[in-house]
Amino acid sequence: MLRFFLSIFVGLTLGLALGLYLGWVQFPRQYINSPITSLTERFKDEYTVMIAAGYLADGDLGGAFDRLRLLGQSNIPAYVQTVTERYITNSRDARDIAYLVALAEGLGRLTPIMEPYRQLRPLEQQP
Amino acid sequence: MTRPDASGNLPPDRSSKYRRPRSPISWAALIIGLIIGLSAGLAYAWLLNPVEEYDTEPWQLSDQDRANYIAAITLQYSYDGDLNLAVNRLLALRLTGDPIQSVADIACRLATTSYVDNNSGIHAVRTMMTFYQLQGRAGCADTLLAASDQPTPLPTIEAATPTLRPPATKTPTPPAQSQATPTLPAVIIPTIRPQTAYALVDVRTFCSVEFSGVIEVRVQRSNGDGVPGTGVRVRWNDGESTFFTGLKPERGSDYADFQMEAAKAYTVEVLGQSDPSQPLVAGPCTTDIGGQAITSYRVTFRPG
Repeated sequence: MLRFFLSIFVGLTLGLALGLYLGWVQFPRQYINSPITSLTERFKDEYTVMIAAGYLADGDLGGAFDRLRLLGQSNIPAYVQTVTERYITNSRDARDIAYLVALAEGLGRLTPIMEPYRQLRPLEQQP
Repeated sequence: MTRPDASGNLPPDRSSKYRRPRSPISWAALIIGLIIGLSAGLAYAWLLNPVEEYDTEPWQLSDQDRANYIAAITLQYSYDGDLNLAVNRLLALRLTGDPIQSVADIACRLATTSYVDNNSGIHAVRTMMTFYQLQGRAGCADTLLAASDQPTPLPTIEAATPTLRPPATKTPTPPAQSQATPTLPAVIIPTIRPQTAYALVDVRTFCSVEFSGVIEVRVQRSNGDGVPGTGVRVRWNDGESTFFTGLKPERGSDYADFQMEAAKAYTVEVLGQSDPSQPLVAGPCTTDIGGQAITSYRVTFRPG
């Protein structure tokens, strides 16, 4: 009987370890129907750039603000400033930086590091 | 001949299991334990304590947030007109079927919700409409938003009693002291409108299991004769390929083709002699007999 229980214990331990490895590492649970707040930083940045370009197209600062609020950031202007400065520091695409700088300026968050990239203004504000 | 022991029992045979050394492991119990352990481990890892949600990609978003993401894609498109970038972002969303038609469907859904209760939402849906209309697609948002475009009749306001003209100011206006500076005539240097030798005159899709995901390019003269040896360039998100017409003479001197990869978008151009085409998306399609294939394209260039 001891042999039987010992074998079942060894099997259980091995099976449990294998199951946890498969479930956590090899085939972790993939989420769908996720909220936009859980996007990885790369795609949050990409979304922010898209919204900045949209702001340049329509000059609708309130609309851009509402769209960025979906990301769950408590302070949108500070968030845009952070993303913009990170893009500049990491030498990301100049076009994306120009979009972000325009939005940061619209939100009153233009900082000295952004000045050289201040090239674009919303189409509706152009003379 | 074996003899019985004191109790009268015969000793077991040499091949009997009672004579073999006993295995320290019960294999049956081990396998039962393994199965139970594996099931318990997977249940714990997937259901009770799954890995924290991180590195979520856009395709994993909920329907509503995916719609918001698509609106953002078309908003950027409305500013920079970068169709290739927009299509690649749509492909990353793993939308079922034609990604551009999916934009039309999502715009339709948004146009029926409170999303269009404010100007920002209306503008976002309009950018989606512009995006898919330019690609030759249509959706119910076209009619829903068009109907809401009807001008609201303005209320007629009775003119108020005319006000008296204000008295002239007592301070005389000083005469102008400065003389106008003559404006120098502007010199405009005429620029030559960019000319392209070839223009894309025809793009057709077809669905074939045999020729799945192929771009068939024909470069022709104005009268339809083929032009062999012409360079054709195909570009996609992270690469490009150049090839020449006439290398498959059995298909004609004007013919060249390119094999696409599924779920990628490609532009085609006559090398240095035409503008790039609109992105050709290698989306799934179903043949007439129900076979699954990738959409193929026939494109024709002629002198522009």
